[in-house]
Amino acid sequence: MSESGFTVDIDQNQYLPEGGRSVDAVVTVTSADDMHLPSSGPDGGASAEIIIVDCSGSMDVPQTKIASARAAVAAAIDVVRDGTAFAIVAGTSQAWPVFPTDGTMAIADASTRTMAKRAAAGLRASGGTAIGQWLRLAREIFQTYPAQLRHAILLTDGKNQHETSDQLDAAVALSEGLFSCDCRGVGTDWEVAELRRVSTALLGTVDIIPDPAGLTADFTAMMENAMGKQVADVSLRVWTPQHAVVQFVKQVAPEVMDLTERRTQSGAQAGDYPTGAWASGESRDYHVSVTVNPAGVGQEMLAARVSLVASSASGSEVLGQGLVRAVWTDNAELSTKINARVAHYTGQAEMAELIQDGLEARKQGDEETATAKLGRAVALAEKSGNDDTAKLLAKVVDVVDAATGTVRLKKAVADADEMALDTRSTKTVRVKKEQA
Amino acid sequence: MSEAAPLSERAGGTACPSCGERTGLGDAFCEVCGCELAPAVVSTGTPGFVPSCPVCSVDPSVPQPVAITADGYCESCGRKVPTGRDHTELDLGLLAGVTDRGRRHSRNEDAMALATAETPAGPVAIAVVCDGVSSSPRPDEASLVCAQAAVRVLLESARLGERPRESSLAAVSSAAAELAALSAPGGSPSATYVSVVVGADPVPPAGGQDDGAGDDPDAVASDATTADASSGSGSGSGAGGGRDAVTFCWLGDSRAYWLTADGSERLTTDDSLGQEMVASGLLDETEAMATPQAHVITKWLGADIPDPQAHVARFEPPGPGVVLVCSDGLWNYLPEAADLAGRAWPAAAADPLQAASELVRFALEAGGMDNITVVLVPFPLRSTPT
Repeated sequence: MSESGFTVDIDQNQYLPEGGRSVDAVVTVTSADDMHLPSSGPDGGASAEIIIVDCSGSMDVPQTKIASARAAVAAAIDVVRDGTAFAIVAGTSQAWPVFPTDGTMAIADASTRTMAKRAAAGLRASGGTAIGQWLRLAREIFQTYPAQLRHAILLTDGKNQHETSDQLDAAVALSEGLFSCDCRGVGTDWEVAELRRVSTALLGTVDIIPDPAGLTADFTAMMENAMGKQVADVSLRVWTPQHAVVQFVKQVAPEVMDLTERRTQSGAQAGDYPTGAWASGESRDYHVSVTVNPAGVGQEMLAARVSLVASSASGSEVLGQGLVRAVWTDNAELSTKINARVAHYTGQAEMAELIQDGLEARKQGDEETATAKLGRAVALAEKSGNDDTAKLLAKVVDVVDAATGTVRLKKAVADADEMALDTRSTKTVRVKKEQA
Repeated sequence: MSEAAPLSERAGGTACPSCGERTGLGDAFCEVCGCELAPAVVSTGTPGFVPSCPVCSVDPSVPQPVAITADGYCESCGRKVPTGRDHTELDLGLLAGVTDRGRRHSRNEDAMALATAETPAGPVAIAVVCDGVSSSPRPDEASLVCAQAAVRVLLESARLGERPRESSLAAVSSAAAELAALSAPGGSPSATYVSVVVGADPVPPAGGQDDGAGDDPDAVASDATTADASSGSGSGSGAGGGRDAVTFCWLGDSRAYWLTADGSERLTTDDSLGQEMVASGLLDETEAMATPQAHVITKWLGADIPDPQAHVARFEPPGPGVVLVCSDGLWNYLPEAADLAGRAWPAAAADPLQAASELVRFALEAGGMDNITVVLVPFPLRSTPT
């Protein structure tokens, strides 16, 4: 483990046939178990948390929803560490600060936690849903306090009905890079694609909590996870040679998240892709795909230099680095070998896409496409040993033969099962690097 | 030191290249400034070599100068730029060598080290060639470390008048020890090895004994460790020493040859599956070398092999000729000693560097599929090293 507490490992087949252009690599970024904060200092290290709770009228139907939400918020507040800035926002077609009521942030201690829980107990459900408004207020509140790590938890039970899709997108764009957001939908009346748009842009997770009774456990876990984060604003900086094209940069484990469109140029031949905040002892895999201009047989090229960069007000610090190489050879045995992990994650990303497309086709009544896509997803889940996804798929289709992906659509599927499959379609299983 | 004769009166030496003082015959270090008088040279790269990108440095659309990263890539186009090791020529007068990356490999994993010593028995020329095993980690470092460590031992021993047979084995042990230090969890860096020490025996062999090692390479190979003709001799040394001989020591498939007008021969026997097939009578040389396993080596210097059991043997040239030490990047294209002699002899006698360059060029034109290293030592040694 390097001094920064991070390591960057590259796994690839560096050999290309004559004229070959495509270079793929799996980049594994790992933080040390005893990571110290590179950004800790007099002005650094502080973290801020906002819990955003849907208080639309539907949260009262059934009443257990709003009651469970109150309890879940209280449980999450109990997990907030002393010294952490926090706030609670309630949302309908507008948003308002529940605690502190002046639209600033409180510093967590025994007394502020008690006051916050009292405020949460007073949450009432009535009104519409405009998630963009909620995010805008959260952003304003975050800006009142200088923190390194800013994280929000957003809970909704319905569709974003009281503003346009563009309004939501604009609010999400304003929040990007300022805070991360984990999104949860309670019940089955909300839209997976809509919430996924928010969580993906804000480098968070999305999941379904079908039964309100599950809210408290989930909120507690989310807040515990957030409290573990130590390093904010870490980016993958990808340098590529002239005339090279970055085809994509995707996080592929623990779940698939396409970062390609999130690039910000950081040099003439380099771009930064955000990875969000990191806890100690975390490990994630990224799939980087680059197209280069081929060189002659026997030549070697640096196809990409992948650096892990921490950015702060005082500049950026390289935490680790790995080299993606290309070597042209006329030895077909070398150049035709496909790296096992590149193949594995290519399959996992395809599986996630097939599930989302298949469920969409099913919704549109296109059973033929739905059957083909979900069947293929079943085969990929089986082949890669992704048992969790296989189980979720089996609630939506009857599996005739997993290996060949022969399936039949179930006639009746519970909404919750379909939404669970959709939200968790991006979860991947990991394969370890083969030891040389 | 007050006991030492005035420097100006010391006979036979040359001028110190650093301070210009006259040196004593056989001195390893200048008595005045302490610099090493005839240090070993190693193919670490051309001195003062500044890496630059062959493509971007002449591209007017690229802002100059183009930066080269510490690990040797062009910051503009990403190409691995030539290192000093891609092509190195070493010339010590008594012997010369050329090593080249070839046409098909991205780096030069061969290494060579040359040295000369002036001893009371006469001049000595030393050459070591190592070929990093491509399937092991960091083969380029492995070959260089081995060549460097071995030449150090061989040169020191020659200066001390130690017998080349023992020093050759000590050099292999030293190279193995240095290689062990390179070892990492990922695997064991490995290299082939061949050394030659050419010069008068510091200790003359027992009179009249001749084991015929030079005439019968099979005998040398079948039990190399007992093939040293000089074993058991005990008579004293002195100016003039024993007979001029070539002591060679190897592991793997880098080779030493004796090349002359008539009677050229290969001195070493490969530690390879190809050679085993020939030795067992399964196939003839040409058939064996055409099989895919031919180049799989059965012995080598490896970080995981503390006692590699190198072969060592001795050869007394019957007349003038040249000793060729090379990696398989050359002999793949021209395995027969007579054919090699046809290209190198007698040109090598007059200009070993030129002749070595010609052999390397030949291998490149033949395809350059592997790294190529060629060292030539004309025999008898010219009397004064330059």
